[in-house]
Amino acid sequence: MAMPSDAGLGAVDALQQAYAAALDRADMAGWLACFATTEAAGYVCIAAENDARDLGLALMLDDCRARLEDRVTFITQVWAGTFQAYRTRHLVYRTGCRPGPDGTLDVTSNFAIMMTPEGGSTTVLAAGEYRDRVVLEARGARFLHKRAVYDTTVLPRYVVYPF
Amino acid sequence: MSAGGPSLRWPARVNEIPKEVFLRPDIFEAELQRIFYGGQWHALAHLGELPEPGDFKTMVLGRMPVIVAHGDDGTVRVFVNSCTHRGNQLETASCGRRTEFECPYHRWAFANDGRLIGCPGAREFAPDFDKADHGLRQLRVAQFFGLIFATADRDTPPLEAWLGATVSALQDILGGDGRLRLLGYQKVRYASNWKAYADNDGYHAPLLHTGFRLLQWQGGQGSQTVTDNGHLAFKVQLKPVQNAGFLRDPSLVAFKGVDPQNGSRVVQLFPATVLTKHLDVINLRFAIPTSVDETEVHYAYFAHQDDDAELLRHRIRQSSNLLGPCGVISMEDAAIFQRIHVGSRSPGNAAFQKGVKRLDTLWHDFGQNDEAGNLPKWDYYRRVMGFARAGEGGDGHA
Ligand code: FES
Ligand SMILES: [Fe+2]
Repeated sequence: MAMPSDAGLGAVDALQQAYAAALDRADMAGWLACFATTEAAGYVCIAAENDARDLGLALMLDDCRARLEDRVTFITQVWAGTFQAYRTRHLVYRTGCRPGPDGTLDVTSNFAIMMTPEGGSTTVLAAGEYRDRVVLEARGARFLHKRAVYDTTVLPRYVVYPF
Repeated sequence: MSAGGPSLRWPARVNEIPKEVFLRPDIFEAELQRIFYGGQWHALAHLGELPEPGDFKTMVLGRMPVIVAHGDDGTVRVFVNSCTHRGNQLETASCGRRTEFECPYHRWAFANDGRLIGCPGAREFAPDFDKADHGLRQLRVAQFFGLIFATADRDTPPLEAWLGATVSALQDILGGDGRLRLLGYQKVRYASNWKAYADNDGYHAPLLHTGFRLLQWQGGQGSQTVTDNGHLAFKVQLKPVQNAGFLRDPSLVAFKGVDPQNGSRVVQLFPATVLTKHLDVINLRFAIPTSVDETEVHYAYFAHQDDDAELLRHRIRQSSNLLGPCGVISMEDAAIFQRIHVGSRSPGNAAFQKGVKRLDTLWHDFGQNDEAGNLPKWDYYRRVMGFARAGEGGDGHA
């Protein structure tokens, strides 16, 4: 089995950094840009409790590119002005990377998300694991699927932004 | 009412709620006793979460840990999750399957029907010890189409009488026959008193939820039914989205159910259970008042057992995105719960306006978009808590 090249790993890490940086500046266009442009691109954010029991119900379930785009529309247009602003710091490190089908890479990472509401102090929003399938496009690595499985059985607040 | 309860002067005008009721720890403690451990039924689970004998789920009633257990004999019971020896928490898993619950401390073992079946060293126990007296403590349990309720009070009226006029909407939510299948959970804590969480109204929907306006998604004809014991039931016809082009993937808001007349239902049961069916989402929200300032909500989602693979897939994607703590037409509600709580840290009363017909006494008919439909619930709360209205006599002492 061919192991990912250093260049491949470099592209994967650059994608993870771009993803975390986009969310940490609440840049939803930047978040969307981390996904492959194919209609099959998707994002799922699901409680580990559901995931472990093979229950499909998620906190966010975008199973096609159009849903990803609609999520951006809701956050930036529909919900604007209704929620208390909060900022995040995503702490992400890669725990595994191996070849997937058709030249893709299957990447796992741990994440912890620190959250600071406007005017408040910093707490942990969620911790968990990313399980991603990454495609290497000409412009760089992109997520074909991203699955954020959060351990945080009970989230400490309502959620606006993806994990 | 017993002496020594919290004292609070309730406003004379029937549309006003004293804001301090959301904030005072002494009132919260009294609510646990009078409401959560008092003469109310509390929805803790649906049978779809524990369909097989041996299945269990742990929950919290007020502050009391409980186990909802489907016994090998087919009966569903609710046990206090506390070993009858020295009170150790018996089960820590949120769900699972067991024929017996064993307490690790001194290895007392209980069958899943609650009987004590093992207690090492019993020959040297206190002289009056009898195994038969030390089964798990059980609460009264009743079911409505698989929805499992418990009460710690032996005088709580029978469940159907307590549910009253909400039964028809509730039956619709529960798929008509209660044969539901669990899809999964979203669990979250809101920095809000449970009463602010459970006080969503019929007035806000088209105003707060910009999504309804952008999608040109109007509610159809509907009704709001209010009971004297604090429940509300909304039945609203479903109208299709007019501006589906606003979404790149309008299939998210598609309705695949058979009867649009049956499209939207919300039942709010006193004190804090909210059950809803909207489009093809079946959502039961079990609330735990973790403190005066915080409420934990378990959003449990269901399919019907007869759904085909296509409907099941549709329900999962719609349920995951529509009505939860980051749902497209509900995230804003969650934000409001917390802001009501912060804003209530200020003097005076919160006043309801929409649909208020008079100020001296309550009435019984409410339109579907009246926020005043919440007032009979507030009045019921006031009476259960023993807070006298200003001018009614008494000193406001419970
Ligand atoms: S406390 Fe449970 S066996 Fe002793
Ligand atoms: Fe709402």
